[in-house]
Amino acid sequence: MAEHTFAGLTCSDVAELAPAFVLGNLTPAESDAVRRHLADCPELHAEIAELNSVVPALFEAVEPVAPPAALKDRIMAAAAADLAARRAAAAPTVTGVPAPAPTRPAESPRRGLDLGALFRRPVWAAVAAAALVAAIALGAWNVQLSNQVAGLQAYRNGVVKVLDTAAQPEAQLAVLAAPEGQGPTGLAAWGADGNVALVMRDLEPTTGTEVYEAWLIAGTAAPIPIGGFQVGTDRTGTFGTNHVPLGAGVVVALTLEPTEGAKTPTLPIIALGTAHAQSS
Amino acid sequence: MDRLAGGDLGALDLLYEQYGAMAFSIAYRITGDRSAAEDVVQDAFLGAWRNAGRYADARGSVRTWFLSIVHHRAIDAVRRRRPTVELPDPEATLPDTLTLPDAWGDVALRLDREAVQVALSRISDVQREAIELAYFGGLTQTEIAARTGVPLGTVKGRLRLGLQGMRAALLPLDGGRGGGGG
Repeated sequence: MAEHTFAGLTCSDVAELAPAFVLGNLTPAESDAVRRHLADCPELHAEIAELNSVVPALFEAVEPVAPPAALKDRIMAAAAADLAARRAAAAPTVTGVPAPAPTRPAESPRRGLDLGALFRRPVWAAVAAAALVAAIALGAWNVQLSNQVAGLQAYRNGVVKVLDTAAQPEAQLAVLAAPEGQGPTGLAAWGADGNVALVMRDLEPTTGTEVYEAWLIAGTAAPIPIGGFQVGTDRTGTFGTNHVPLGAGVVVALTLEPTEGAKTPTLPIIALGTAHAQSS
Repeated sequence: MDRLAGGDLGALDLLYEQYGAMAFSIAYRITGDRSAAEDVVQDAFLGAWRNAGRYADARGSVRTWFLSIVHHRAIDAVRRRRPTVELPDPEATLPDTLTLPDAWGDVALRLDREAVQVALSRISDVQREAIELAYFGGLTQTEIAARTGVPLGTVKGRLRLGLQGMRAALLPLDGGRGGGGG
């Protein structure tokens, strides 16, 4: 092998560092030097590739440990919040007013804003995510977009009501999203006392007698309508009622009905989510 | 991955269903703490969610790509507990000019845990210890030398021989398909 020197390292140096390099335990400076050497010197690519090829198999050596059930919900809620924040950052602005700089995309919401404690608590996870969306968007949108601000304020107020309900013992919480992944999002919670709180955003405004109807779907039973609400130009809807709790795993769905009092849902489903009991 | 890059929450759901349990197992193995492991896994999924557009098929399987993110962030978390240690660059990747044959990146898809355990059993105890301290302990070579009471050169040798020994043990199990470019 011809001996070259790049990035202050000879080929022999890099060969010696190769095992630690593929295992990811060089210092940042060493690792950077190896990368720069390899970028200019193909001599060692084959050897590095051979050593590196074993590394993914090490994952298989790990003893399986089941993650907590709430972890997935937390991740999905944080991703939904991130998606909503992206949309808010990409929202059109008034002419001459620059869009606010988006938050650093590669960072978790808990970093920088130190929301880790919130996101580590299942009962607050989705609520905190939604509140984060409201906070980010409120700070980002131009004050002249009064409808949007009004909508965000209404959404935030709705989130507070959901939060109050979700904080009750044995409360259940559902994160609602459009079936296709793009569209309205929101939260619904109901306590053991039957109090239900729901908040939605990004809904199309209703016209005439149209109402958004909320449904509970338990297993294969027929959907149960629990009430409806209308939506104005702020595109935000909040709703409260009382209904006997149906237990965990109930699907909360939202449809747009031509009039109030629907007994069967009119498709398509606008948004839906599955309720989960909140553990402390 | 295109769906994930396009902001499809369903794709993230699918990614979690496929790799969530393994990601948590790896994070827990490295951090030794359930709460820290949860944070690592959440960070990794959100990192994948936001950076899926940077994934390139040529660089390896989704599994290897994603679990490497988990590993990277878990090691980062462990090293943050040791403030005297330089932290790795969280965005560091292999240079674009280095195209690693990924036949072996997918080996683990075809080998079960038992087979890998068998391969690990074929290398010596001290080699296995060095690899585990490096890969799952996040220790530098110098730290491994101090921990195990052997010279630095010995640690380097054990890591190299251990990886080579694993490769030799895994190759027959994989039907000899792992070319590795060598």
